[in-house]
Amino acid sequence: MLSFAEEIMLLLLDDRDGSFLPIPEWSMQCALAGSVLMDLALADRIDTDIDSLMLVDKKPTGDSLLDPTLERIAASSEVRGARYWVENTASYADEIREGALARLVQAGILNREEDRFLWVFRSRRYPTIDGTAEREVKLRIMGVLLSDEIPDPRDIVIICLCDSCGIFNEMLSSRELDRARGRIDQVRKLDLIGQAVAKSVWEIQASLAMAAHPVY
Amino acid sequence: MATRREIGYGLASGELWTDRQGQFMDIGESKEGAVFVLEPKGRLDSANARSFEERVLAAVEQGETALLIDFGGLDYISSAGLRVLLMGAKRLQQSGGTIALCTLSPSIREVFEISGFLTIFTVHDDRATALAAMG
Repeated sequence: MLSFAEEIMLLLLDDRDGSFLPIPEWSMQCALAGSVLMDLALADRIDTDIDSLMLVDKKPTGDSLLDPTLERIAASSEVRGARYWVENTASYADEIREGALARLVQAGILNREEDRFLWVFRSRRYPTIDGTAEREVKLRIMGVLLSDEIPDPRDIVIICLCDSCGIFNEMLSSRELDRARGRIDQVRKLDLIGQAVAKSVWEIQASLAMAAHPVY
Repeated sequence: MATRREIGYGLASGELWTDRQGQFMDIGESKEGAVFVLEPKGRLDSANARSFEERVLAAVEQGETALLIDFGGLDYISSAGLRVLLMGAKRLQQSGGTIALCTLSPSIREVFEISGFLTIFTVHDDRATALAAMG
């Protein structure tokens, strides 16, 4: 089973050429942070309520994508909210992203290609070799969005993460998105870490909008 | 006539449900007509969520098709508790059953409201109202 960070990376890549979809950097960082925290929650290492994120078990998971965050939570001298940990973990998003991509390459799901732009600037692409995992994630998501059945916790998480970083704008047509919007809004609320991710993304977007259009 | 089996701390109460960390979950259990009622007490969090999940899944496997969870004795619920509630409800829905909740304290209701669970579950004010609706 792929981690949430790996699933999110698959969804963030353009199927046509393996480049990254045009997602705001902060949204991607928060989504990767959320994916780690949600995996830790499903591994019974942390728990959350509407105010706090609590350490349940500091025993390492053995997963190199998750354990650095678990160590930081375990080392914290005070209990903080989920949002604090989303934003704290987001500052390590580059490591999480590189780790997730390396695993997907190692698993034979992606290929890694280096390009040069104007002979100077490097760009990296990750064309898909085996699209099975990505198709399965998309099928799971669509299965939830097109039904009114009670969703599985893993499906709730991936829908929260996709919505937070705007993947649905790329995955669905505007008509499909309009039709699915009510269901997305219903499902994304069902996870408290997912809500914290969405709030962090929304706040930075609001700050950027204010900076671009200041009210005098 | 309701039959009741207390599950919890007392040895005389019958059965103890423990999680992997060895903490107890006190879960009242009764049958009210066709409705199977579970009544978790105290806290429902990562320490005992699995105990509660096992109890809900056991009810589904016993063939119960109408499950009422009475939260009147519950003081606290965390994400882990919400998650197992969701899993239990999903299993029951897949087997053609129905689930409802009742007697949410203001603090538990607030958690359900914020987490959007009120849009997923049918919630009744008290057990009598719930049983009348489910019966």
